[in-house]
Amino acid sequence: MTTTDTNPTGETRASATVVDKAQYGLAGFLVIAGGYVLYDASTLDKAFADQPVQPYALPYLVGAALLLLGVLLAVATARGDKPEAEEGEDVDLSQGTDLRTIGLLVAVLVANLLLIDWLGWAITGALLFAGTTYVLGSRTWVRNLAIGAALSFGSWYGFYVGLGLPIPAGILDGVL
Amino acid sequence: MDLLLDGFQTALTPENLLFALIGVLLGTAVGVLPGIGPAMALALLLPVTYSVGVDSAIIMFAGIYYGGMYGGSTTSILLNTPGESSSVITAIEGNKMAKSGRAAQALATAAIGSFVAGTIGTVLLWVLVPRVADIVVTLGAPSYFAVMVLAFFAVTMVLGSSKLRGFISLFLGLGIALVGTATGQARLTFGNAQLADGIDVVVVAVGIFAIGEALWVAAHLRRKPLEIIPVGQPWMSRDDWKRSWKPWLRGTAFGFPFGAVPAGGAEVPTFLSYATEQKLSKHPEEFGKGAIEGVAGPEAANNASAAGTMLPLLTLGLPTTATATIMLLALQSYGIQPGPQLLTNEPALVWGLLASLVIANALLLVINLPMAPLWAKLLQIPRPQLYAGILFFATLGAYTANFAPFDLALLVALGLLGLAMRRFGLPVLPLIVGVILGPALELQLTTALQISDGDVSTLWGEPVAVAVYAVIGLMLVAMAVGAVRGRRTPAAPATPTENDETEELVNR
Amino acid sequence: MSIVVAYSADRYGEAALDHAVGLARKDGTRLVIVNATQGGSLVDRRFAHDADIEAVRDRLVAEGLTVVVRHEVVPDVADAVVAAAEEEQATLIVVGIRHRTPVGKLLLGSVAQRIILEAHSPVLAVKPAAE
Repeated sequence: MTTTDTNPTGETRASATVVDKAQYGLAGFLVIAGGYVLYDASTLDKAFADQPVQPYALPYLVGAALLLLGVLLAVATARGDKPEAEEGEDVDLSQGTDLRTIGLLVAVLVANLLLIDWLGWAITGALLFAGTTYVLGSRTWVRNLAIGAALSFGSWYGFYVGLGLPIPAGILDGVL
Repeated sequence: MDLLLDGFQTALTPENLLFALIGVLLGTAVGVLPGIGPAMALALLLPVTYSVGVDSAIIMFAGIYYGGMYGGSTTSILLNTPGESSSVITAIEGNKMAKSGRAAQALATAAIGSFVAGTIGTVLLWVLVPRVADIVVTLGAPSYFAVMVLAFFAVTMVLGSSKLRGFISLFLGLGIALVGTATGQARLTFGNAQLADGIDVVVVAVGIFAIGEALWVAAHLRRKPLEIIPVGQPWMSRDDWKRSWKPWLRGTAFGFPFGAVPAGGAEVPTFLSYATEQKLSKHPEEFGKGAIEGVAGPEAANNASAAGTMLPLLTLGLPTTATATIMLLALQSYGIQPGPQLLTNEPALVWGLLASLVIANALLLVINLPMAPLWAKLLQIPRPQLYAGILFFATLGAYTANFAPFDLALLVALGLLGLAMRRFGLPVLPLIVGVILGPALELQLTTALQISDGDVSTLWGEPVAVAVYAVIGLMLVAMAVGAVRGRRTPAAPATPTENDETEELVNR
Repeated sequence: MSIVVAYSADRYGEAALDHAVGLARKDGTRLVIVNATQGGSLVDRRFAHDADIEAVRDRLVAEGLTVVVRHEVVPDVADAVVAAAEEEQATLIVVGIRHRTPVGKLLLGSVAQRIILEAHSPVLAVKPAAE
């Protein structure tokens, strides 16, 4: 949980010769993904008579391409190729990546998907909003919970009344 | 002409007018708000397609698309933060104008220029869409297959600085599109029954555009507030009008064709327009210090190109921008297959949309000129609530696709992929185009080979197809030459000095 | 010995600053201008532009005052003002206040109120001329 203090990316950007090692991770992912697509394609049967394009034709192409691109990326990385991270109105790239915030946000999102069947969107949605605002640095949690509840109940009724879509209510079934 | 009048009848029903108004208001808001753009907004709004009528939804989406452009120019001018690469020039020149006390004129020339360009662009669409559609309908499956391959190469190679990363992104998208049992056999489903129907494209779009973006911004949140330039009501003097109207028209002339060509994009025409105005201006010394021509031209080019993207979208079913991609997705979710048959099958929808574009433009002018100071207030929304709101609506959008927690797990996974893509500089557009057009590509190939009884030579049996493959070949040659040259003279790092940068981009 | 003024780039901050400058000039005390923001949103109108706060300082220095400017992004604005007062051994904190409806107080809370409650030195609350 001390990732915010150690700030390796900021230093690697400064010197030109250092290789962006994380990019090998991406290259590895591409090779593995490509390999799996190829393996999956090899398990497919021949097509029916009315299918001139074999079901495995495109997978073989995509798998081979991913594999090749992964290798090319690794080569490019070794040669010192560095990615241009995406800029934005609200993005400050002079600081390193704040992995702690990302981890906590993902944790909130995962908690939401685990609880949604049981508690229902009206409750987990409010918790999702309050949780993410807290992770992002807001400390007015009573107000955030109130806004979250207004949003989730509002969206539940909005979908039910406005769009005719009943979102599963979870434990509030019959209450809403 | 009758069709156009019918289109206006569709667009002017109170319900559709309301949706157009909602669209332009939402569009302007997301354009102004940091960290949320029109593509993300459309992705978040995809659930409305489950019950709103197709014409209303598309009219609203078009309003958001145009509105995003207007709102984006407001923040570019007042804050010097270009939300998209197409508003880089506006940010440079417009912000300089604003700093020298001419914010009102900069906003006015941007808004009126966008209106002029958008209106001319829409009229051009009225003329061109039926004619191009007539030609496109005659294309056979082989030609259409070739055009789609061209679109893949174009979005991958023209946009972004790294071709390698463009292709990585494209093939990741094609890989995601493989998942499912469309061919009768389970491909890449990992034996999971919930993947048998494929990954819902709504989940992909929301995950990549909304969750990925929100996580990326959260990891790099800017802490120090930006210095905003206070602004009153936008207005222009007689002299400003005199200096603006020619750049508006020239900018439109640059923007529309670039928007209409697959992957022409909005960036290049804004740079071309800027360079042209600098050459033709009577006040070249003002450029780089806040010349009104340098705002008027690029803003018009930007909006004309947005209008231009409607041409390939409506006639070929080919999206050339991220926003257009989501619009195509929305059409698909109504069971409408955009493509050569669209105008024949859905004339009321297409003409209603084309008519509503003019209405959206007029509405935007009305709500943007007097209300610019009000929109600037949106920038004071606290970030935690803003990004929490994005995550909230993204989750809601993905959940309502099937009411399955499994989709939310996919959403988180795709969000992390979106985050990684932004970290590693992988462009988003090729991936989403791959996801959407991948199945269509397989389908066209199958159709072509079915007609020819499996004879592969049919693929280059049509003159149009041959011509298209020749274009792709030329692009590949150009790329190879560029790569060799690039190795000999390593590209200078992009300098923040504006004039050098624009020169460099224009010369590319 | 110093006077700390909680400055915001609006008329409430201006009123506080004017008053604090008057006191500092009379007694010859050091003036500490605190202009802080939580950085919670893209734009914070109460956070002065770099150039503007420079101009304020230069103007006051030209008048012969000893001026320290604390122009920073902090986790909490009220805490930052109170902490600055401790560090600078302030004899007085000057804040600008505005009228708030009861509902407004409930929803937004007030930086000035928290400074008044939490500071260890005397706090002077100033209102703009015509409220």
